[in-house]
Amino acid sequence: MSLGTIDYAVLALYFGFVLGIGFMMRRKVETSADFLTSHHSVPVWITSLAFIAANLGAQEVVGMCASGAKYGWMTSHFYWVGAVPAMLFIGVFMMPFYYGSKARSVPEYLRMRFDEKTRALNAASFAVMTLFSSGVSMYALGNLFHLVLGWDFTASILLSAAIVLGYTFLGGLTSAIYNEVLQFFLIVLGFSPLAILAVLKAGGWEGMKMRMAPAMTHTWKYLGDPSQNPMGIEVFGMVAGLGFVLSFGYWCTDFLVVQRAMAADSMSAARRTPLVAAFPKMIMPFIVIAPGLAAMALGQMNSGYAFPMKEGAGGPDYDMALTTLMAKFYPSGMLGVGLTALMASFMSGMAGNVTAFNTVFTYDLYQSYIRKGAPDSHYLMVARMTTVGGVALSIATAYLARQFNNIMDLLQLVFSFVNAPLFATFLLGMFWKRSTGHGAFTGLLAGTIAAATTHGLTLAEGKGGWISPTHTFPSTMAQNFWMAIFAWSVCFGVTILVSLMTAPKAEADLKGLVYGLTEVPSDENEPWYRRPLVLAAIVVVCLIALNAIFW
Amino acid sequence: MSDLRIPIAFFFGITGILLMTVTANRAALTDAPVNLYAGMAMLLFAGVMAWLARRPS
Repeated sequence: MSLGTIDYAVLALYFGFVLGIGFMMRRKVETSADFLTSHHSVPVWITSLAFIAANLGAQEVVGMCASGAKYGWMTSHFYWVGAVPAMLFIGVFMMPFYYGSKARSVPEYLRMRFDEKTRALNAASFAVMTLFSSGVSMYALGNLFHLVLGWDFTASILLSAAIVLGYTFLGGLTSAIYNEVLQFFLIVLGFSPLAILAVLKAGGWEGMKMRMAPAMTHTWKYLGDPSQNPMGIEVFGMVAGLGFVLSFGYWCTDFLVVQRAMAADSMSAARRTPLVAAFPKMIMPFIVIAPGLAAMALGQMNSGYAFPMKEGAGGPDYDMALTTLMAKFYPSGMLGVGLTALMASFMSGMAGNVTAFNTVFTYDLYQSYIRKGAPDSHYLMVARMTTVGGVALSIATAYLARQFNNIMDLLQLVFSFVNAPLFATFLLGMFWKRSTGHGAFTGLLAGTIAAATTHGLTLAEGKGGWISPTHTFPSTMAQNFWMAIFAWSVCFGVTILVSLMTAPKAEADLKGLVYGLTEVPSDENEPWYRRPLVLAAIVVVCLIALNAIFW
Repeated sequence: MSDLRIPIAFFFGITGILLMTVTANRAALTDAPVNLYAGMAMLLFAGVMAWLARRPS
């Protein structure tokens, strides 16, 4: 694939605008709170789009298209089961505690609700996790641009890192959030034409159905038996593993996304942020998954498109589905827009990680354990330096990923061990006043050990089984879902058990942090379109309709 | 200029105009004037953003 002058012009224009937004936001940064939390001043339509854009990284755009080609329309479960219900839950039930507690971060909420050690465990694991996520995103960008355009790996990652550093250093979280909105629109407008053109060329939905196995174009119909669907998973594993543990664990507790809602200008806006975001989130499968299915169908037609294959006898190269479609359906001009959108998706993921990292490092690690009671200007300086350090460490991680792919797999696995049980901790912390700090800490550790043990005792596609393989899953996805279920269940059980054996906090200390001791704001005087429950009900109706249509 | 809709309108307006200057370019697998249609869509989107930004709140 080669680019023309017009394509480079679009890319340069985009870089100019994202840096321009950074300069525009620089004037608003006077305190560490301005830089790290946006001082709770961002309008709801912006926080809502940033809420999903921060998650629109490399894995989302390239990965979901690849999954569409590999697993078919079942991939939409990652949105309609694995994201939207959790977004409704955090908006309706959890946001009053996050926002109302005045915590500046998720780990800080854990300190207020439980104790210092639970906060330290979460802050440290989250800080490391965000750096590695950012590095993996950068590595994927450098690798993809090298393969597709022949660009130098180092030049690609240094250019993207410099741009992200530029606007996050200047305007902090507000700049990152504002740019995420621009990136969101660019991703939608840059990839929608590809979805339309590819699906039409493949004969529309009916044409694709004719050319593919029935399980590839349904969401629920073939979930009764793992052997009948390409994901190798059954209904319980899908709903409990993806739809409950993994989904709620990510959307309700990961500070990367929660931070966007917490930047909103009021409690009402913070609650509406994930609810408003749920609307575009429901539509994303048509933009990012549908092209993958179309690529598979086109590969079986005499259409002039051949599905990309790995070198040698490696089978289909699903990760290249998106870029090969772009090369065939986009002329020079729109090709530049598509590639800029791809760059934007990498950068929004990277900036999301960097801004979450600098907040957690500055408030939860530096201010808590390294230097307490310093003037605010000092913390603002530390936040800016942490942004530089975060980007530099992400670059180092990208190179680590390039040299030791297996190490990255292992680290990502360890992070999934840490993340899976976290939702049990929050669920008990927010809705059961009897849960204690010792219970939460022990539960988190036990849940992590349970996840690691499950991985060590099971095999899937050659992965796991390092203790003694006692069960084989049909796919790594099924293994991940069940690992998450076990980790969550163990964390839930151990937290309850240890909590019952230890002394709880006084109720007075839990006001604003726990259900039953917190006044949930009334929205009776709000118009219907601003009421969280009404918005959630509309989303549920749309969600049921989508699942029924694509049953 | 802290209303985000204004820079968004400018960005997509300029991109739309750029695309409409290269409408003769064609892709391998479609005869549709992709740049023209996409450029028009982006200009329309830019117009909506500009209108929303100028609308009295």
